[in-house]
Amino acid sequence: MKISRKLYSYYLAWPALLIYSVFFVIPAIAGLYYSFTDWRLDRTAIKFIGWDNFERIFTDKTLLLAIKNTLIFAIATVIGKNLIGIALAVGLNMRLKTRNILRAIFYSPSILSILVISIVFTPMLRADGTINRILDAVGLHFLSQNWLTNPSVVIWTIALVSIWQQAGFQMAIYLAGLQSISKEYYEAATIDGAGAWRSFRSITLPLLLPALNINLMLTLIGGLKVFSEVFVLTGGGPGNSSQVVGTIILRSFGEGSWGLGTAVNTLLFAAVTVIAIPLLIFMRRKEVSE
Amino acid sequence: MSYTRKLAWRGYLVEGFLILVSLAIILPLLIMIFGSFMNSTEVLKFSLRFPKEWLFSNYSMVFREGGLGRAFLNGILITGVSSILNIFTSSAAAFILVRRESKLANFLYMFFFMGLIAPMSTITTIRVVQWLGFYGSITSVILIYASLNTAFSVFLYSGFIRSIPKALDEVAFLEGANTLHVFFKIVTPLILPVNATVAIMVFMSVWNDITIPLYFLTDSSDWTMPLSVYNFYGKYSRDWNLIFADLVLTSLPVFILYLFCQKYIVSGLTAGAVKG
Repeated sequence: MKISRKLYSYYLAWPALLIYSVFFVIPAIAGLYYSFTDWRLDRTAIKFIGWDNFERIFTDKTLLLAIKNTLIFAIATVIGKNLIGIALAVGLNMRLKTRNILRAIFYSPSILSILVISIVFTPMLRADGTINRILDAVGLHFLSQNWLTNPSVVIWTIALVSIWQQAGFQMAIYLAGLQSISKEYYEAATIDGAGAWRSFRSITLPLLLPALNINLMLTLIGGLKVFSEVFVLTGGGPGNSSQVVGTIILRSFGEGSWGLGTAVNTLLFAAVTVIAIPLLIFMRRKEVSE
Repeated sequence: MSYTRKLAWRGYLVEGFLILVSLAIILPLLIMIFGSFMNSTEVLKFSLRFPKEWLFSNYSMVFREGGLGRAFLNGILITGVSSILNIFTSSAAAFILVRRESKLANFLYMFFFMGLIAPMSTITTIRVVQWLGFYGSITSVILIYASLNTAFSVFLYSGFIRSIPKALDEVAFLEGANTLHVFFKIVTPLILPVNATVAIMVFMSVWNDITIPLYFLTDSSDWTMPLSVYNFYGKYSRDWNLIFADLVLTSLPVFILYLFCQKYIVSGLTAGAVKG
């Protein structure tokens, strides 16, 4: 195309390229470099120190725990948000009287700030809080917990709060996917004698793959980048038991150990890329072409 | 006949169950809303009940003490300018990248696409902003938000611009229009609904965010509402009625936006779900 070269001049793309490069790409590349240095607040000369920062990450107990917590949070929220999201979407795709109001209710927490949700849940999750009182009242006393102060459950609690807030967002994407599936497929399946589960497995799931694909990506990447929930609900505590990569970066920044902080960030970058890109390619291949 | 009855029963069962589950969503939100009108001892039960007396004064108190007027304006300025900036730059870039169909354009598209996946490198971004000389300013935060949302917006715009026939711009070119004309006179009117979608998505995510203001806004007079609330929450940790009132006020703008602009939010979600 000869004309396209002259007519669609690149200058229209420059502003976006400039803003995106200066405030996102250049810092990312600089971060890659600085993660191999002893860059600190109190140091004027920055030295290259090879893999030292990474060695420290993998020997420091708190940092290792933060990585483990981040993975737990990411996996728990990916599974929770997507299972609940699909279940809600399938249910709310049926012809129910209260369908529209229920959709709005389930979606509504996701438009609010994570900060709002986290603060609302803080008093409810105390030992004598609303949630334990409800559990007692319905005879599930054995589930009562010190949700935010027991070091071995705290990260799971934070994951539950995040699932509570965001599953409705996933539901909305699944609903959009479901609505693009033609009713005729189901009618044909019913005539052929397929039951509800069979229809779900053979029609709904395969045709829902684009929605599943985007939801898995969103929840996984979002899960690995988790920060605000932890910051507001526990600040990484009690002790360091709910630290995640995001809060460690804030702490390193505050302490002035910037080299270490960027190294943690680089690790997150690597993890997200290594997990997300193959998943993206794999899911694209499995999608049903119509 | 029996089959349709079975279906109807299944419908009631599902509906009943979903209504029950929806209580788990409503309950915490109602505790917050009712609690925001209670006095400071009544609220401490954190259970679902109407306030004995509706204290609207909590709201005026929070508004004064929490510096919310200022924070609201900061939020409007930051979200408004960054979403407008994002809409112009991203749609223009997507237009060129889609129409070019060259190797370089493809590469640039992937270059933007990486931004959807990669996490931002906060500490080095701070250094870049310091080096440019405006660390701590609202301008820096606006530019950072514009850049963080570029990937998503370019991705969304590309999908829509691809569906606009190229013949439309070719006719205009033949009549002597230049790229800028074609973009503003032909493409922009056609993607107006997408602009609304992007504006709302960017507005909601920027309005609700606390991470960027936490790192980049050093002066509390520049803070947005959520960060002011966080500060207030630390200071008045015993007055839960005021904290709840503060949370309600912070949520109000996005809630109103959601009520009036649902259509555009749904179309944004649909684009993701159907096109993948």
